[in-house]
Amino acid sequence: MDLVISILLIVMAPIIGGLIYGFERIIRARMQRRIGPPLLQPFFDFLKLADKRKIIVHSTHAFLGIVHFFSLWFALAILLLGGDLILVIFLHLLSTALLILAGYSTRSIFSHLGANRTAISILAYEPILILIGVSVFILTGSFDTSSIFNYREPLLFKLPLAFIALLLILPIKQKKSPFDVAEAHQEVVGGVELEFSGIFYGAVYAAKWLDEIFCYSLVYLFGANNPILGLGLVLFAFLYVNALDNSSARVSYKQMWRFTLMVALPVSFINLLLSILQHLL
Amino acid sequence: MYPLISSLFILPVVVSGLVLILPKLLSRILVISTAFILSTISLYLFISIDQPYHFSVPEHMNHLVADADIILLFFFGGIAIRRKNLLVGLMTILQLGILLYLLNNNPLDNSTQFIVDKLSLFMFVLINVISSIICVFSLKYIDEEECSSFRKKYFLSILFWFIAVMNLVVSSDNLEYFFLFFELTTLASFLLIGFRRDEISVKNALTALWMNQIGGLAILVAIFFISYNGYGDATFSNLLAHASASTILLPLALLSVAALIKGAQMPFSKWLLGAMVAPTPVSALLHSSTMVKISPFIILRLSPALKDTPVAWVIIALTGFVFAASAIGALSQDNFKKILAHSTIALLALMIMMGVVATPVTLIAALTLILFHGISKCMLFLNAGIMERVFHFKETSDMDRLGETGPFTSFVIRVGFMSLLLPPFGAFIGKWFSIETLGALAINQKILGALVIVMIAFGGAVLSLLYFKVLGLLIARTGDRDKIKFEKLSPFYANSILVLLGLIIAGVLGFPFLMTSYFAPVASQVLNLPIAITTQGWNMQIGSMILPIVPLFIAFLLLPVTIVLAMFIRFKNVDRAKEYACGEKVDYSFSALYFSTDKATQYFTLIGLLFFVALIVVGAL
Repeated sequence: MDLVISILLIVMAPIIGGLIYGFERIIRARMQRRIGPPLLQPFFDFLKLADKRKIIVHSTHAFLGIVHFFSLWFALAILLLGGDLILVIFLHLLSTALLILAGYSTRSIFSHLGANRTAISILAYEPILILIGVSVFILTGSFDTSSIFNYREPLLFKLPLAFIALLLILPIKQKKSPFDVAEAHQEVVGGVELEFSGIFYGAVYAAKWLDEIFCYSLVYLFGANNPILGLGLVLFAFLYVNALDNSSARVSYKQMWRFTLMVALPVSFINLLLSILQHLL
Repeated sequence: MYPLISSLFILPVVVSGLVLILPKLLSRILVISTAFILSTISLYLFISIDQPYHFSVPEHMNHLVADADIILLFFFGGIAIRRKNLLVGLMTILQLGILLYLLNNNPLDNSTQFIVDKLSLFMFVLINVISSIICVFSLKYIDEEECSSFRKKYFLSILFWFIAVMNLVVSSDNLEYFFLFFELTTLASFLLIGFRRDEISVKNALTALWMNQIGGLAILVAIFFISYNGYGDATFSNLLAHASASTILLPLALLSVAALIKGAQMPFSKWLLGAMVAPTPVSALLHSSTMVKISPFIILRLSPALKDTPVAWVIIALTGFVFAASAIGALSQDNFKKILAHSTIALLALMIMMGVVATPVTLIAALTLILFHGISKCMLFLNAGIMERVFHFKETSDMDRLGETGPFTSFVIRVGFMSLLLPPFGAFIGKWFSIETLGALAINQKILGALVIVMIAFGGAVLSLLYFKVLGLLIARTGDRDKIKFEKLSPFYANSILVLLGLIIAGVLGFPFLMTSYFAPVASQVLNLPIAITTQGWNMQIGSMILPIVPLFIAFLLLPVTIVLAMFIRFKNVDRAKEYACGEKVDYSFSALYFSTDKATQYFTLIGLLFFVALIVVGAL
């Protein structure tokens, strides 16, 4: 039964992700007292992109965009199938790195700047995700995400600091203000995304939807054995990220980096220590 | 088996003598055929020997070894006087004093001096196969070097001599024999690093000499304590037999110091970073199959005794620190070889850490990393040599045109980096296993354990960033030229690279097979306990670790394979556009991302030194 749900989720992931993305645009618009686009707008965008004339810089670049989408889908699939958390984090890193490679592969200034900034954001959030993963392991005794579902209590109550650490890096992960340096439109014109167009941009665009699911699946894990709590956490994280996005100004990548080093990393480190102490008690 | 094993010691020595006198063509034939013979023997030995094979040599060899020790130290003394180097002189005098004391008080007797077990055989394969390829490559490379024809022969001669000494190092059981061979590798690297005889070469060679001599000194002091504590003969097997004795920690700590210095761990990383002034095959040799690999070898030898001791935890903390520190150090580098050297140090730290943790899973990870790192680093360094000789540049920032001017070299370098970084290769597996195993161990070690995990997580992210930076430069091209025409390289270059490429591909395809029949037997003999590897559906279970074979294979298809494919794929029926530049027509020059890390790196030497002091103190307590 669980397997069926997971597989269904995996297959439907781009569609669900698209819906979340559409919903997000509405919510953000409402926060700004606008009406916002219809819920299905991301899909309309996608269809329009698919229909456009295919213009590329070179094939290597365009191809990497498509591979980025599929490898992200694969990382998500391993996560939803209850695979090894560290493996999932690594695969996610590597699939994002494909986008960085695409950015470096062209001779476009904005792509390069965006790729550099994406690399720094990865450096900012990846260690913290791993630390959260290890603290989960110390609590449950297994790195498999499926073990979290079988654990007697929701993670939130056992590892509150891990949840806070996740909330701290979520805006970096989702490229939301104040940590949206990687695609900052006013500065680097969308960064890595800039040189993609047509269906190739469609792939990168749809990969963003997958990333939404990836992020919120991680959030859901904190309330895993209590679906209502899990969904509540997801809703909370969703509102928090978008409210923050609407109410904050962009910081520079150095400030972002300092923030993770001074705030997010210590929080996740203390969380790791606490989880070790908890285990000993 | 005895004749075959001893042929691994004798054949390279004979060849090393012959290349000095033979004319060019004959010596080329000799080198290539020796390369084949050595590789075949080492592979054959690996299949045919199962149980540890002890043997001793006639008694007059003991005198020979003692004499050789003293001659060697006098030679080092001579170098110290000639170069007026105080440190080398000091180390030599200290070594000589302790050596003479040892030779007087417990002369070498006729117990077993050599042991060839699975670990030695594993190292044989690495040393002989990889070094042979480097020797074949060097035939062409050194031919283009500006030096007298005798120096060229001399270079090849030392390479073979190095192979012989390495084979001896990994098979000696007696520590006094081990000391001699250890010092001989130091000598070989000293001669190779100083090969170009200019000021900087000599300076760096001397640095390498005195640093590695500290390692030799540590071995001698360890021998002293072994006999002082009354464990009997100073042999590895005796040391392991007394693993539960309370006084064992000091000799273990000292031998680990020797290992860590050979492995260029901070603060002794300077010698390896300085070694790149030598001709490039030397770097390939030092980094991949010889010299630095002595370090994980010693640790793996000692791992059953080291496991769970306070010394082990100091080493784990040190290597965790070095892993992160050298990854950070690499971020500010532009020189291709320097980036490679930093990443070698980082990965060595990971290997040593895995060896010290010494669970079945981590040992397998360590062995995987040793093998794949050997192949990949060798390939990368040889390509660095090709870049210098054929394309005439050394900096990574010049590499962004390589995709068009030298597609083959660019392609091979890319494969080399990916085989370090991406699933299912060594560093990926190593990082993954280390985080998961340390997670389990951290429970007992609290703050220390948690700190090491932070270091690995952070260092791992930095290292991936670094590799992707270089990969990005290599994949860069303009949209103007779509045709790919592989450049023609000299057959010596092309074939040695192709063999390495073949080894990497074979390693990936045969990964499950390598696990069960190559790494696992070695690890199980090192730990002296059976390691069960079972395959259940999609997963391979090794000890407590589950290795998902099918997802890893898909990851392999999705990541490295597609990145390679991206280079060659060409979409049809698409239109082209120039990159967006706000409508301006300006020529940009692109460079990679650099960080100025000087603020942090200046403390690294000090921190590393403190760890070494802590290591000795913990051992002595």
